[in-house]
Amino acid sequence: MSEALHYASHTLQEVALVFMAVVYTLRLFWIFRRFPVGKERQAPSGTRGSVMPRASILHSWFNVAQPWAMESSRRNLFLYIQFVIFHLGVVAAIALSFVIPYGPGLLESAALVKTIQVLCFSAFLVAVIRIFRRLGSAHMRAISTPDDHFSLLLLTVWFLFAGLAAPNNYAGGETVLMIYFWMTAFFLVYVPFSKISHYLYYPFTRFYLGKTLGRRGVFPIVRG
Amino acid sequence: MAKERSHRATKVLERLEQKVNRQIATSLMACVHCGNCSESCHYVLANPDDPTYQPSYKADQLRKLFKRHIDWTGRVIPWWVKAKSVYTDEELEALKDVVFGKCTNCRRCSINCPMGVDHATFNRMARGLLVAVGIMPEGVSVVSKDQWEIGNQMGVLKEDYLDTLEWMEEELQDELGTTEVRIPVDKEDADVVYSINPREVKYDPRTIAEAAKIFYMAGENWTMPSEGWDMTNFGLFSGDDDLGGAVARRLFEKVDDLRGKKLVISECGHGYRSTRCEGPNWGKRDVPFVMESSVDTMLRYIKEGKIKVDKTKNTEPVTFHDSCNNARSCGLYEAPRELLGHVVTDFTEMYPNRAENYCCTGGGGAMSMSEYTPERLKSAKVKADQLKATGARVVVTSCHNCVDGLTDLIRHYKLDMKVTQLVNLVANALVVDELPAAVPADEAAAEALALPLAGKTVLVVDDEPDIRVFFASVLEDNGATVLEAADGDEAIELVRREKPDLVTLDLNMPGRDGGQVFEAIRKDEELAATRICIVTGRPELRRLIYDRPVPPPEGYLDKPVDEETLLRNARKILELT
Repeated sequence: MSEALHYASHTLQEVALVFMAVVYTLRLFWIFRRFPVGKERQAPSGTRGSVMPRASILHSWFNVAQPWAMESSRRNLFLYIQFVIFHLGVVAAIALSFVIPYGPGLLESAALVKTIQVLCFSAFLVAVIRIFRRLGSAHMRAISTPDDHFSLLLLTVWFLFAGLAAPNNYAGGETVLMIYFWMTAFFLVYVPFSKISHYLYYPFTRFYLGKTLGRRGVFPIVRG
Repeated sequence: MAKERSHRATKVLERLEQKVNRQIATSLMACVHCGNCSESCHYVLANPDDPTYQPSYKADQLRKLFKRHIDWTGRVIPWWVKAKSVYTDEELEALKDVVFGKCTNCRRCSINCPMGVDHATFNRMARGLLVAVGIMPEGVSVVSKDQWEIGNQMGVLKEDYLDTLEWMEEELQDELGTTEVRIPVDKEDADVVYSINPREVKYDPRTIAEAAKIFYMAGENWTMPSEGWDMTNFGLFSGDDDLGGAVARRLFEKVDDLRGKKLVISECGHGYRSTRCEGPNWGKRDVPFVMESSVDTMLRYIKEGKIKVDKTKNTEPVTFHDSCNNARSCGLYEAPRELLGHVVTDFTEMYPNRAENYCCTGGGGAMSMSEYTPERLKSAKVKADQLKATGARVVVTSCHNCVDGLTDLIRHYKLDMKVTQLVNLVANALVVDELPAAVPADEAAAEALALPLAGKTVLVVDDEPDIRVFFASVLEDNGATVLEAADGDEAIELVRREKPDLVTLDLNMPGRDGGQVFEAIRKDEELAATRICIVTGRPELRRLIYDRPVPPPEGYLDKPVDEETLLRNARKILELT
């Protein structure tokens, strides 16, 4: 492994990670300080019986794993499957950025390499579909920002290079690994300022929705 | 040179900084523009080619301000995240058309957002920002003013309210043949304090009598307050938390004064939500007494055997429409169904239902915003299809707003259905052991003939469903046969076909307005003699009539119109003594 690749896979990643952690910490600090929360005075309601806040909040948080819970997922199972594949690809590509520098021995397992590659390449295909959807639909274009387009494009390319980098075969050429690690570092710096940081807010939004609608006996939604 | 910002735009931005709480802030940050919410919105489904109806697009109109002025990236590189500020009153007017005219705050998109973004909550907030600087639909302004100044959203005066209660008490005493049945006012230490929607006083007082009948039959110790009786709250629709808090406190304080044990809220979706769920938060006070919907109360009476009902008295095929505020925001969806099971014989479920039901399209104050009526009725196609698919003849709902919204769309889409509420069905199904003997048929016919407008046909033309319902009930109660039209074209068609004796004609209507209808009737030789009474809430519009080269109308009425004035004018125009 060249010094440049070692730098890209170690020091560069660590600096970028620390940067991201600092920005996220500041961001969370800002959210807690800047935006107050009102006091809930409403007595529990709902003729089915109010759900305990904790249960309802948990239900709301795990909504993402319950495609039957929302009509928008039930009616668009293909989109839901895309969502699952896309995010499994994200997990695989992120995990790879830790495995290569800190546990390269794990990649001696051909099964693990294949799994990461299947996930990353599948996510790449889904990302391509998503690009076509975002650009091809007038409805999607109307709600898209340059950040939306750029983030999707960036992830698409990143999935591709993560899949190619998975065998960690630097002896055969370092270009793929270098691109993958430099892209990962860029990601870590860019993500806190882009839509990709939505996972930081997900716990908040679903917490409040779950708490409010659970107290009112709406969550979990009952269908007749 | 920096772009100059209007005073209103400045105030909106200042208020935005103050109003954003943590739930709203994270909702504004979290949207990933996935588009999954789009198909959950009835406006989108009815306008598939117009992307501006998408919930996320509408939300972006507020989100861009948040990003430009509060969030990080948008302050540095606004174009990258489509962050944008607001400078002119025209831009605020455009925002008004989005947040008031393209969304009923039904919350269906909120429960269908994978991220849990509560679009409806911050759409309401956006409304509040605009209302605070005086930018709102005219109807919202009028209703809010009435609720601030008179104490209820329809401007019902205290004496009219008390007169109506007295009138309903007399009707009930006649019906049941006993003076024991009362509508007690301001009785202290009652177990139940009953609050209502002013629409009941103004347009549908029979629901008060029916509720009183149920309380009487259940042997309830109940009362109605002389003040602070309006459980509706336009603060929910206008986004004005100050109004919301003031109205809620007014109601809670009255119950405190009377030392009432429980506040029962009559069937009204937004009233229930405003009073039961949001009121304590807006009013910033804890509520020491229990609050419940009259649906729960009626169901409990049946379960406890306090009232007996006979479901065979309601045999028409019935379906149930869940009010968004009741079902999706307050979880009130099983009790109405259980109650229906006791009082009707033929119930068909509507799909989707409960928290996933579609809006009646009259929610969010839409019925008071006549400038958006064409868009509202277009979006109502979704609801109309839902209703039609049930095959029912009667749609039951627990919300006055939904009654009006559904009635309007049923007429617009020519569905063979009528709308009713649970209180009507329960009262009709009540088993009353001793009823006064029925009036013989010939005597009833004689009574009908004795009514002042007997034998006359009146066409009521108005785009406001509330007004039509009120006029129709007054005129029908006085013996007239009433036809209704919601727009100019329908009016002319009915005049041609039915040749009514009198037309009450609203001037300010979308599409062909009252002035054009008036001229068309006068210029048609066959119809020219039709007696017409112009009705308008804006007297300055009368010039639209005087300017026309045709004979003037037979009468004028200024809104608001009370029962006595309407009847007096109708008799005068029809030359009835």
